[in-house]
Amino acid sequence: MSETAVVELKNVTLSYENRTVLEDVSFKLHNGEFVYLIGPTGIGKSSFLKLLYRDVIPDRGTVRVTDYPVNKISMREIPMLRRRLGIVFQDFQLLEDRNVHDNVAFALQVTGEKPRFIKQRVLEVLTQVGLSHRRKHMPKDLSGGERQRVVIARALANEPRILLADEPSGNLDPRATKEIMELLRQINNRGMAVLMVTHDYAIVKKYPARTVRLVKGDIQELVWKGDKLIPA
Amino acid sequence: MSVKYILREGFAGMKRAKLAATTSILSLFIAVLLIGILSRIGYNIYTQAMSVKELIQVEVFLFDIDERTTSQIQQELENEELVEQITYISKDSASAVMKKEFGTGGEDLVELNFLPASFRLDVNTDAGVDRIETLASRIQNLRGVDEVEYNSALLKVLESNLSVFTLVGGGIGLLILLASVILVYNTIRLTIYAKRDLIRAMKLVGATNRFIRSPFIIEGILQGVLAGSMAILFIFLIFEFLVPTYVLDLGTLAWPFGRWYFLTGAMLSLAVLLGWWGSRWAARRFIKQTYISSSS
Repeated sequence: MSETAVVELKNVTLSYENRTVLEDVSFKLHNGEFVYLIGPTGIGKSSFLKLLYRDVIPDRGTVRVTDYPVNKISMREIPMLRRRLGIVFQDFQLLEDRNVHDNVAFALQVTGEKPRFIKQRVLEVLTQVGLSHRRKHMPKDLSGGERQRVVIARALANEPRILLADEPSGNLDPRATKEIMELLRQINNRGMAVLMVTHDYAIVKKYPARTVRLVKGDIQELVWKGDKLIPA
Repeated sequence: MSVKYILREGFAGMKRAKLAATTSILSLFIAVLLIGILSRIGYNIYTQAMSVKELIQVEVFLFDIDERTTSQIQQELENEELVEQITYISKDSASAVMKKEFGTGGEDLVELNFLPASFRLDVNTDAGVDRIETLASRIQNLRGVDEVEYNSALLKVLESNLSVFTLVGGGIGLLILLASVILVYNTIRLTIYAKRDLIRAMKLVGATNRFIRSPFIIEGILQGVLAGSMAILFIFLIFEFLVPTYVLDLGTLAWPFGRWYFLTGAMLSLAVLLGWWGSRWAARRFIKQTYISSSS
């Protein structure tokens, strides 16, 4: 892996549910970089992310995430890989029977951290996402934007090196989308690499960053030319 | 790994999915109660049959022989592996018994002194009818032995019925156990399925499969303890109160091996074992098959 790349795919082919999603794809995400992965719904953007957190393995090629050769690691190493990643989904995946604090603390409890550290770290990340005052509230009492911020706080709890965001604003109104995007940019400015999957060109335009498009099993680098994104 | 967290989650798990937990407990309870009832009834039938079987004795009637030959026969009988105890009944003793049994009016018969001397043998009836038959024919061939008698018909009936009973009882027990294992596995799988969001979230933040599994196993064991305790309570109710009150002919059936704690201990252990094993099996399979993201 190159010195600065935290994610590297080399000649990856992935078939998923009897169709080829990726074919001989190579891609790098560098340390501290913000990258959009765009493409129409159903093209395989989520499958691309699944490769990184080892929910699927490629048919061919290699996938590296930080120091982990993802397609070669044992089942036992998968949780260790996932602790290096912060993962945010569109559908929140909060535990509805626990309050905000416990939802975030949960990420640290499962990794065996000490209660004292957990308490301190949860407060830190909730402050970072601007929700420390809502820590006693249940998820059902939060707005969509707030719920997504709790998910981001949970993803940050273990101090990952990379944040993977799969349509994080997919279920949010424009105001909440703005909040989430600003938060993601802020997290990226602190040095964390962010790979965000989206099909919303408006977001890509409003918050410009390196953009790649998934098309017919391949990945294209895109650049802005006027109002349009065109292959580089 | 935080033991405190796993224990707390294990206990809290039952509160969070009440319906699934109740179904699991009920299926465990029914399975263990049925096996408990079968064991208690089965044990009593078996011990009754065995005590009847033990009453069966082999009688060896002798010709009018001298003391030396009688001693030789006794020696031969003592050397037999199946013979546990030998009682010699002389002609006089036999007559005395007859006189006692016939009472007044039997004196004339007794004076005829026609009853032969005999040996009464307590044999190991567990050895089986075939071996006892072989023993009887061997004794029959001894010099000085007139006739060998024992209730072979009763022994055969008892033996074949006990075999059938053991097979049928054991078969039913196994079927109940098998059905309960499948039932417990499926209900616990439903319990775990009800918590798939929790499992996905745990995988998402990097929990190991073992860590994810542990609270479910604690929950399974806890369900086993509850179900086992309920089944024990019902066994007491059924056999100490209901049966003696409503089925007067049966009365109070004995506890297997004479003490209440053998059966109840076995029932509790079985319930815990089923809860542990069912939850472990279901959790292992389900956690392995659960992916973080279901969208493509």
